[in-house]
Amino acid sequence: MRKLRQYFLLIFMLVIWGLLTAGCSQEHRFIKKVTFKGTNSIMITFAGPVDESWAKDTGNYAIYEKPDPDILLKITHITLTPDKKSVILSLEDDLNQQQPHILSIKGILSEGRSQGTATVTVKKLYFGYLFSILIGAMIIGNFVFTKYLGLCVFFGTSQKKTTAIGMGITFTLVIIVASMMSWFLYQFVLKPFRLDYLQIVVFIGLVSLSVQAVDTVLRKINPALFKAFGVFLVLVIANCIILATPLILADNEYNAWESLMLATGAGLGFLIALFLMACVRERLEISNVPPTYRGLPISFIVAGLFALAFMGFSGMVIF
Amino acid sequence: MDPVLIKMAIIGLVVLGCIGLFFGIGLALAAHKFAVEINPKVEEVLESLAGAQ
Repeated sequence: MRKLRQYFLLIFMLVIWGLLTAGCSQEHRFIKKVTFKGTNSIMITFAGPVDESWAKDTGNYAIYEKPDPDILLKITHITLTPDKKSVILSLEDDLNQQQPHILSIKGILSEGRSQGTATVTVKKLYFGYLFSILIGAMIIGNFVFTKYLGLCVFFGTSQKKTTAIGMGITFTLVIIVASMMSWFLYQFVLKPFRLDYLQIVVFIGLVSLSVQAVDTVLRKINPALFKAFGVFLVLVIANCIILATPLILADNEYNAWESLMLATGAGLGFLIALFLMACVRERLEISNVPPTYRGLPISFIVAGLFALAFMGFSGMVIF
Repeated sequence: MDPVLIKMAIIGLVVLGCIGLFFGIGLALAAHKFAVEINPKVEEVLESLAGAQ
C-alpha cells in the first residue's frame, strides 16, 4: 500500500512537471537561444546555419516590448557570425531590459529549406527575473504598504507577535496553493474556452476552495499545527491579497514559475508587514498614547508611516 | 441575439458547472478521506445545554 502510494505520488509529480514545462516553453524548435547582448542588441542562436541573404534582411525581424505590441523597435544593422549560426540584431535605441521583448522571425531559411515563422520571448537571465518578481512582490511592491490591500485582516491580526507570525505563515501557505491552482485553471481551462471574463468569479471560488482543502487536510494530518493555525484559515478567505494575486498573474500572463514567485512574494510580504506592525503595536500598548488615538487610529497612523518608509523602495531595480 | 454569443454563454455555463462539480466532488472525497472522529458525546452534551450564550 505504501509503495503504491509512492508510485502514485511519483506519477503525479511527473504529470505536473510535464504540464509545467508544456505551459512554459513557447520556443521554436529551430531557435536555440535568444538573449540580450550589450545595451542595444539581441543575439539569436539557431540550431543550424542560416542563409546569409535571408538573415541580412531587416524585414524578416519584428521586435517590440511585450506591453506595447504596436511600437516596433527599429533595427539598424544585422551581423552574422562566421559559422552562420548566430545573428546579432543591433537596434537604434537602447533596450529597456526590464521588460520582456517579443521577437518574431519570418520564414527562417536554412540551407534553402524553410523552417517556418517563429515568435520568441527575449528575457533577461531567467533566475534573476524570477528573483526580481519575488522581491518585487515582497518588498518593493508590498501588497499592504504600497497597494493597500488586505487591510482588515492586517489590522485584525497584528496585535501580538505570535498571532502575526501564525497568520503570516498560514496565509503564505494558502496563497501559494490558491495561486498555483488558479494559474492552472486560467491557462488550461479559462483561456482555451475564452472565459477570461469570468476570472473573478472562478478565482473567488478557488480561494475558498483551497482554504477549505487546507483546512480539511491539515485537521487530519497535523492536528497540532491545526490547533495553532486553524483559527486564521477562516480569516484568509476574507483577504483580498489572495484574490489580487491570481488576477495579477492572469493579467500579466505569468508562467508557472513566475506565478509561484509572485505568490510566495505576496505571502512573505504580508508576513513581513504583519510582523513589523505587531512589533510596533506591542510597544504602543505600553506607551502613553492620547485617549482619542488609542487602539485602531494610532495603528492606522503607524501603517501610514510604514507605507511612507516602504516608498523608499519604489523604483528600485534588481538585476 | 447573435447565436455565437449564445453559444459562448452556454459553453461558459457548462464549463463552470463542470469545474464546480469536479471540485465539489474532490472536496467531498477529501473530507471523507481525511475525516476526523469526533466524540458523539460532545455533541450530545452541547445539545442538552441551554446554549443561550
